[in-house]
Amino acid sequence: MLNVSELEFKHKKYKRSFYYRYLIIFSVVIIGLIPILLFTLFDEKVEIQTTKQQAIITPIIEEKNDSITQDSNSTLIIVEENISKKEKIIPIIETKEIEDNSSILEEKRVLLTPSLSFIDRIESSNTQHITNVISDIKEVEVENIEPIIEEVKPKEQIIVNNKIESIEKTLPRIEDKKTSINIERKDEESDIADVIKRFNINHNPALSLFIAKKYYQLGNYEQAYNYALMTNDLNNNIEGSWIIFSKSLVKMNKKELAIETLKKYISYSNSSQAKQLLDEITSGKFK
Amino acid sequence: MKPSIYENSRDVFLDTVNAKDYIQLERISAIYDSLKDSIEKPLKMVLLYGKPGTGKSMFLSRLYQNLLPLQKVYLYSTPILDESEFFKTLAQDLYGIAYDGELNFTQFIKILENRELQDTAIPLILLDEAQLYSTAMMEKIRLLSDTRKVKFLIALHKTDKEDIIAKEHFQTRIWESIKLENSSNSELKIYIQKKLMKANCIDTASMFTQKSINLIHKLTDGNFRNANKLVYTLFDIYLYYANTNPSKITKGEVSTKYIEMAAIHTGLINA
Repeated sequence: MLNVSELEFKHKKYKRSFYYRYLIIFSVVIIGLIPILLFTLFDEKVEIQTTKQQAIITPIIEEKNDSITQDSNSTLIIVEENISKKEKIIPIIETKEIEDNSSILEEKRVLLTPSLSFIDRIESSNTQHITNVISDIKEVEVENIEPIIEEVKPKEQIIVNNKIESIEKTLPRIEDKKTSINIERKDEESDIADVIKRFNINHNPALSLFIAKKYYQLGNYEQAYNYALMTNDLNNNIEGSWIIFSKSLVKMNKKELAIETLKKYISYSNSSQAKQLLDEITSGKFK
Repeated sequence: MKPSIYENSRDVFLDTVNAKDYIQLERISAIYDSLKDSIEKPLKMVLLYGKPGTGKSMFLSRLYQNLLPLQKVYLYSTPILDESEFFKTLAQDLYGIAYDGELNFTQFIKILENRELQDTAIPLILLDEAQLYSTAMMEKIRLLSDTRKVKFLIALHKTDKEDIIAKEHFQTRIWESIKLENSSNSELKIYIQKKLMKANCIDTASMFTQKSINLIHKLTDGNFRNANKLVYTLFDIYLYYANTNPSKITKGEVSTKYIEMAAIHTGLINA
């Protein structure tokens, strides 16, 4: 005689395990499909990224090889000439033998963060505009300012060597001359070019301020504005950079923005020179 | 539906070998005709093989019933494993000689050689479950068939032993080699429905739709013995519900659930 109730129980158990089995298979298939789907969808994107990485890495490796082939003396000379370069090349030479390719690539990525291309861009095109401004300027909502530079270089701890000190020493002399002498225009341009070269190497705010002032004097207010901005970027406590910046803005018919900027600066620096300039601008004495 | 209908339907599928219950299937009929033709020829041996439950015993039984009025034919459904007993049974069946003592192969060969056949037709011995005979015994059966005084139709399971028989010693003697296989879906449907209709269980026969037949075929792999067992248990389940809880019986179609329950009971589903 059949024990049907027991059979019914066994059948329920069988059906449960049957459905579980299908559920597991279904889940496995779904889980398996998701990465394939994602891979398929983003495959193109990944390829583009890989190509970009390769493009970035290749020149760096070449650069590294060049630096390695030089003897230690020549490397030292380079170091003396270029502080930023010194900081970056020496660790590469030291670590080259012990680090594998992946770690080199990682290091390379770190090395890329200072935007040398940014400098090159400024060199090649004087008419380029700045997009990002320093944080203080952002607070003033400098929305109407045309983008000039694509990226703001992070502040670096610059080791000052003797050479840079000598450059700095020359600045006051030039500034002194500014008030008393009208330097011949022909020489002025070549002087600025030399200073720009030096600034591109060491990013000294004193140099950029000098350039800003010179451009202002020459009537190139856009460039004066740019270099004042760069100075501010490197050191936002230099009074001169704010003054030139505001003056340049007035000259570029952005009086309101200049007033706002000066007010902002006065609010935390209490600069008398800035106050004076603000009064002159508001009263219309300075145009 | 009355419980007795399920009871009758159930009993149709009792696993017995009875030539009267033989179900004529097209493919099996073709094989049967082919075998019958072979027997009429001056053959030495015929080999019938296939997996258990493919209908070999039923096939032999049917052949025996059909040939009995036509010629001398003897069916040994159970193997006679004792050699002396085997030859004594043969002597009794073929020549009506009863031996009290031992009868060995040499003595029996002498009897065969000295005796003339009474009929023109060579007597046919149908040996079922021949895989149970020893290799030595099979060798002696082969030598007996060489005398052309007796024919053998050997039915066996497909085993390693069967391969030895077919390929080595018996290869040249075997006139015909017939393989029986499991049924297809459509054959299984005909088999089940014909069986039920033969027992006047028309209502239950109509319950087997193609869907339920497909499931039964899937579970039994078309094996007749397994199908018999499954359908027997299926009707047993129906009988139980008909007696205890008739509302659980859905009319018109065999319940998939009950088929699966029957398969669990018969061990076709491991639950």
